[in-house]
Parts: sequence; structure tokens; C-alpha cells
Amino acid sequence: MSMKDTNSNIPLKLFLYLIAFTILAPLVILVLWTFTSRWPWPNLFPTSFSLRALEEVFAPYANLLPTLVSSILLSLTVALLSAIVGTMTARALVFYDFFGKGLIKLLTMAPNIVPGTVFAMGIHVVFIRMSLADTLVGVIIVHLIYTLPYSINIMRDLTSSIGQQMELQAYVLGASPLKSFIYITLPLLAPGVLASMNMAYITSFSQYFLTLLIGGGKIRTLSTLMVPFIAKGDRSIGSAYALIFVLSTLTIFIVMDRVIKRLSFRNKEENL
Amino acid sequence: MNKKTPYILIMPIVLLGVLFIYGLVNGIIQSFGYIPALDLGNFTLDYYIEILKDPTFIDSLKVSLKISIISSILAMVLGTILTTALVYTGHTEGKTLQIIKLAILIPHTIVALFSISLLSQNGLIARLFYNLGFISAQGDFPLLLYTENSLGIILGYLWKEVPFVAYFSLALMNSINKTLGEASENLGASRLKSFFYITLPLSMPAISKAFLIILTFSFGAYDLPFLLGATMPKALPVQAHLEYMHPDLRYRPYAMAMNGLILAVSWTMTGIYYLVKKKKGIKGDVHERY
Amino acid sequence: MELELKNISVKLSNKEILKSINLKVNNGEFISLLGASGCGKSTMLKTIAGIIKQNEGSILLGGNLADKIPAHKRKTVIVFQDFRLFPHMTVAENISFPLKMMGTNKTKCREKAIELLEKVQLKGFENRHIDELSGGQMQRVALARALAAEPTVLLLDEPFSSLDINLRKNMRELVLSLQKEYKITTLLVTHDQEEALTMSHRIAFIHNGQIEQYDSPENIFKHPVNTLVADYFAEGVYIDGDIIDNKFISGLFTLDANKDNGKYKCLVRPLAVKVKKAEKGCFKVLDKIFQGDNYLLKLSNIDKKLNLESIISAPVDILEGDLVDVDLDKERLIFIPE
Repeated sequence: MSMKDTNSNIPLKLFLYLIAFTILAPLVILVLWTFTSRWPWPNLFPTSFSLRALEEVFAPYANLLPTLVSSILLSLTVALLSAIVGTMTARALVFYDFFGKGLIKLLTMAPNIVPGTVFAMGIHVVFIRMSLADTLVGVIIVHLIYTLPYSINIMRDLTSSIGQQMELQAYVLGASPLKSFIYITLPLLAPGVLASMNMAYITSFSQYFLTLLIGGGKIRTLSTLMVPFIAKGDRSIGSAYALIFVLSTLTIFIVMDRVIKRLSFRNKEENL
Repeated sequence: MNKKTPYILIMPIVLLGVLFIYGLVNGIIQSFGYIPALDLGNFTLDYYIEILKDPTFIDSLKVSLKISIISSILAMVLGTILTTALVYTGHTEGKTLQIIKLAILIPHTIVALFSISLLSQNGLIARLFYNLGFISAQGDFPLLLYTENSLGIILGYLWKEVPFVAYFSLALMNSINKTLGEASENLGASRLKSFFYITLPLSMPAISKAFLIILTFSFGAYDLPFLLGATMPKALPVQAHLEYMHPDLRYRPYAMAMNGLILAVSWTMTGIYYLVKKKKGIKGDVHERY
Repeated sequence: MELELKNISVKLSNKEILKSINLKVNNGEFISLLGASGCGKSTMLKTIAGIIKQNEGSILLGGNLADKIPAHKRKTVIVFQDFRLFPHMTVAENISFPLKMMGTNKTKCREKAIELLEKVQLKGFENRHIDELSGGQMQRVALARALAAEPTVLLLDEPFSSLDINLRKNMRELVLSLQKEYKITTLLVTHDQEEALTMSHRIAFIHNGQIEQYDSPENIFKHPVNTLVADYFAEGVYIDGDIIDNKFISGLFTLDANKDNGKYKCLVRPLAVKVKKAEKGCFKVLDKIFQGDNYLLKLSNIDKKLNLESIISAPVDILEGDLVDVDLDKERLIFIPE
């Protein structure tokens, strides 16, 4: 039915364009604000442009580059751990019966029905006692907990659709269980690993409250650096940070896509 | 292959799960006033009773419920229309879908920035209204940010959640439309009837699941109300955080009691969803991807 | 109702699926569209039903142009392979769905549903849920629902392929008896040649988006126009030769053949080959394969390098390695012009 182009589709098409416009317009404005030096009321366009906002965020005292790098590394670590734990948990849930399976299933969904603020305040006291508060490890753990539901879901769908037959075949042909997993199943899981890493990365990279509370201001990310400017209503600096946020995320996504494709491709070649 | 294998595989999730539950239970215990470190050793419901009597809290609860219910209902309706538009105009993949995905990737903190540059009294929409002659001064533009009506927050949520609902329910509606929708048209249903009798009701499992996710999320979320909310009343999570950060540690049980009530409301919403689902016999489970 | 396809061409995502299809179906006729999967036969059904729009050509229903009639008003009703019953409705609601769409009132809808359920031998099933039905029952409900839509042309898309063999026979009989009773023009899409041969008045054999032959079951089986059609029904050995003055002459043998002069291929199917044990027979039995009721013999004529197969009914005293004489059953030989 979708192939046909009839008159009844015109309102729907208009709605679609309206939504696309609503999504894209603020992004364009973001770019405009980043390069604006003066945009007085009631002008619809800036009256003059400059690199002032970018100069300011890239100034040494703003600490952008070190924060950006450590922020990216933090979120990449979370993404990688999330994909690994997700893959492991998904395997256990799909292929095995074990004691407490129902509980684990429930547990994987739990962060979805416990708001981050509620959990963060509860765990904060525990972390202080365990000396995990204000540490990188502590922040990684809470980010990880909130990314896992997605990773497990994605990996569970994929694991059950791939099944175990091919891996068992390799096992029967003489590969050790670990080798048959690495050479056979892992390349097939690559798209899922990429999807869960993307999802976990963006969830971690966007995290403001969890990072602020558990990191106690000591662990700085791009989000914690950017939000005070948004809170102040500083459109120029806020937009510059936001632009860096969006562009760095897209870059990381492209890099992750390349790396994972190459890794899974190399595995396939070794199989031959 | 080995009996021990599954237990090795679930070790990390069990460790993290234990930590998660520990944190949660710890918070709940504190909400009943049991914090030995602060010489508070009695289990009591007093903190709950007190905050339930406190008009500040009640106002916070009201504003949080208002934001989440209005934004979620609107997002569900508009999101369903968007899904329909994507399915019926054949945009189920490609560039349009990439744009929709983009909105899902942008964090709420940046959405707050969008709201500020578009919706404030000297924002772009106010300027547009001025240039079109709808208003004659900045002050004529309605106050949408940092105010009790919370419209800026609601619009911010809509910006993210309308695409989310569409993305979440797209696959199901598309496959229903291609099979059962096609069959119903073949049996004499006009497009409109086919949509309302077949495609829409059968897409409801995904749509209602998306609704539950955004409803509970927006009720417990911090970022948008923190950045765009009024000084009074504050949304519940913001208010709870404020109590939590109070220099006098004896305020902490109040924060935890607020968290307990946030949890109670979220779980009630979830419970109602499953009850309605069971009663209506909505079949098929859809995985979550928010 | 009479149905005619004139020069129908369909392209889907830039691939030509149907190429200038011409097909005329008389009122009340039962036609099979036979062909391997991917030949375009299902696309043809959807095009007739208006679900897919043709790029060229026209469809006529009862002599009138139907191209402008939208899918939901064509009354060309498909019974899909996967049944496509609505899972959120009961059996009766499914069946009365098309009536509801016509604006029929509730009581009438229900009466009609009950009546149709009886027709498809599912009396008392009206309040069942779809997920309580077996495959065969779903098929019957789908059929009843299609009949409720008062089709002028009934389109069956591989309706029996998902059923097991025992059920299939019952369903075929049910479909045939209903088709006779309602006298509905019916098109059956199938890849099963036996189904096509036993059920239809005429068969359209489709290959690669084109109709290769459109004929009665007997004619299409006995007089295939080319090797594609011939091979689809039963395989055999081809012998090249010429027909001159009603005689087929090849390097191997000469036979009477009532055909126009020209180059021909003679198709020798296993059932056309009769064997008799003979001390000095000119064929040797290479292999003897048990097939249940019959044996398949693989024969070879060593000096002329001709391999034949023969099906003979068991029991038989011929053994592997025996020499036999071969006799060809002239009635069963097929001559295909080149």
C-alpha cells in the first residue's frame, strides 16, 4: 500500500515535512548562535558573526579539550563494557536454563522503572561508604547500570535470531567453545554490538545528573561542562558546546561503525 | 556445554544488579528515617506523612504529573500520526528516518537550549511574531520558560518524544499495514477504515508501551525541569535533589521519602499499564529501545 | 464475473515482474496460475486485486475497465497464503468484517457469519479466538471471510501450501464444491502441478513474468508448447528428430506421429517406456529403484548411447544387469516443435 501515491497522503506528507523541519530548524539555529556576535531583538538573523564563542570554549582556561577527551574515553569505556556485559547476559538468557533466571530477566528491566535521580541518591551514600563516590569507577558503574537494559535487549534479540547451531557445528568440527564463539558467533553479533555501543555511548555521554552527583564535580564530562551555560541561558557559549557535543558524537559513531565493520570482516577472512 | 557457563556469564549483571538493588533499598530505608550514621534509628512513616501534608511538595507533585501526563499524551498522539505518515507515505527507511533518529540522539540538556533560543520572550518565535505584527513588544509574548505553566518543558519533551514514539512503533505498524492492512482493503475497507479498524488497534502494543516509557521517564526526569522549570513549584526530582543537597543532613530522609513517592507513582503507572493490557488482552510484547 | 488482463506489465523497484500478460477468464471458470516461486504469479493476483498498480495495460471486469476502481471496491478478494486473519477479532467478527464495511447491520452480519461457517464446516466456531484455531480451521475461516465479501473474482494465493498433506486434500475438495455452488470465477496461484491439473478448468503456465501456455489440463499436459512447460509436469528424455509426412524420424527410431512437418523434440517420459525381459534385448538395466507402488528402471542402450527411464508397476521379475526390449507407448509420447 505504501507504494501508492494518492491524494489522501497529502496531509500526512505535510505533517512529515513539518516534523522534519521542527527537528532540523533548532539544529540550524544552534550553528547560527555558535557563530553569532550580535543578534539584537527583533532581528530574525544575526547582525554580525564572529568566532568569539568558539574562541572562548577553546580557551585554555575552559579546559575543553582535556574534558572532551576524557569524556569520550569514559563513554567509550561504558559502551564497551555495556556491550560485553550485554552479550554475556544475553547468551545466558537465550541459551541456558539456570537458577534465578526469572530474577535476572526482571533485573535487566529494572533501571527502566527506577528514575535515575531516585537510584543515584540511594547509591550515592553507599558509594561514599565504599569510597566509590567522586571516582571515575563509580561514574562508570552508574552509567553502565543505566545503559544495560538497551544493550541486553539488543543482544538478546540478535543472539536468539542467530541461534547456536553454527557455533555448535564449529565445536563439533573441533574448535574449542571459546574459539567457536570468537570465530563464528562474534562476527555475526557485530551489528548488535555496534548498535548497543552506540546506544550506550549516547546514553552515557548525555548523562548529566548521574555524573554530577556520583562524580561530585570531580569527574568532568562535556555535559557537566556545558549545562551551567545552558542553565545561565548563555546561547552563544551553550550553542558552541552543544555543537561540539553533536559533532563529536557523530564522529565517534562513524569511527565505531568503521572499527566494528573492520574487526568483524577480519574475523571472517580468518575463517576462510 | 558446561553447567558452570551460565553462572559465569551472569556474574557481571548479578554484581551490578546487587549494587543497583542495594542503592535502591538503601534509599528506601532512609526514607523511613533509619540512618544510624546520623543517629536516626527508628523506622517511621513520619517523613512521608510530613511531606504529604506539605503544600510545597503537593505543588511539586502536581507540576510533575502535569508535565509528564500532558507531554506523554500529546507525544503519543502526534507520534502515532508521525508513524502513520511514515508508513503511508513509504518513508520507512532512508533520510527521513535518519532525521527522526537524530532527535532521539540529542540529549535533553541540548533540547533545553533549543527551548531557550526559540521559546523565550526574546527568542526566535517571539521575534517572528513581532515581525508578523502579532505582538508589539517582547513582553507581549507569553512566558513559556521558568514559569508554572511549564509549557517550555512540555514542548521540549515533545521535541524528543514524538520522534521516539514514531521510531518505537514504526516496525510494528509497517508490518501490520503490509499484511493485515492490505488484507482488509482487499476485503472492502477503505483506507481510513482499514487504518482505524485494523492497523491502528493492532499497532497499539508498541504505541502504548512507548507511552508508558515516556510517561514514567518524564515523571522522574531531572534535566528539563532543572534547566527550564520555575523556582516555585519545582518538579519533584529537582525538589528531591535540593533536599538531598541540604547542608543539614537531617533533611535527607525527606529527600528519600520524595524519591519513594516518585517510585510509588512510577510503579503505579506501570502497574495500571499492565492491568489495562491484561484486561484488553493486548498481545505481543515489544522490546524497549529508549 | 468475466475477467480479462490486457497487456499487463508490472515493475517493482525497477525490476520487470510481469511482461505484457494477456489472460481471459470466463465467468465461473476455475483457473490455475502455475509456476515456480518468483515467476510473478502472486504479483499477478495482487495486480488484479488493485493492491499493486500495473505500469502498463488494463484489467477488465465483466467487460468494464477496472483500472480506476480502488482496491477496496473491486470485489476481487484474495485468500492469502498466511490467511491474514485479524487477531483482535473473533471468528464471527473476522467473517463479518467485509459485511460491516458494506454497512450491513450487526444482526445480519452475525447471521451471515454463522451461515458461512456452516458452509466451511465450522459450525459453532463463531465466538472462538483466532489463536485457538488450527491451520486448517484458519484456512476455512479465511475462505468464509472471502466469501462474505461477495467476490466477483476469488483469488487464492497458494492457499494449501501451509497445510499438511491430509488436510490439503479435504481443503481442495471444499474449495471446489464451494466454487461450484457459488459459481465464482476463481484464480488459484500454485506451484504444485498436481493441484493445478486436478482442480482447474484451465491452467496458465507462467515463467519469468510471461504466460508460456494457457490451456486445459489435458492439453497442457499432453501437448506442451515448449520444454519449459513439459519439464514442469514430468521429466523425461528428449530425442531430436523431424516429422515428415506424419512420421517422426530420428537417428534412433521412426514412429507414426500425427503432426505438421518440421523439426521436433520427442519427449519420452518414464511412463511411456514399456520393457520386456529379453535374452537379446538391446537395453541394459543399470539400476532398479523401489518407489512404493512402482519401480523406476534406469536403462541404457550401449551402442547408441541412449539412456531411458521406465516406470513399471511392482512386482516385476527384472533385475539389475538384465537385458530388456523397449517398447514406446505412442499415446504417451510428446512432440514439441522447435
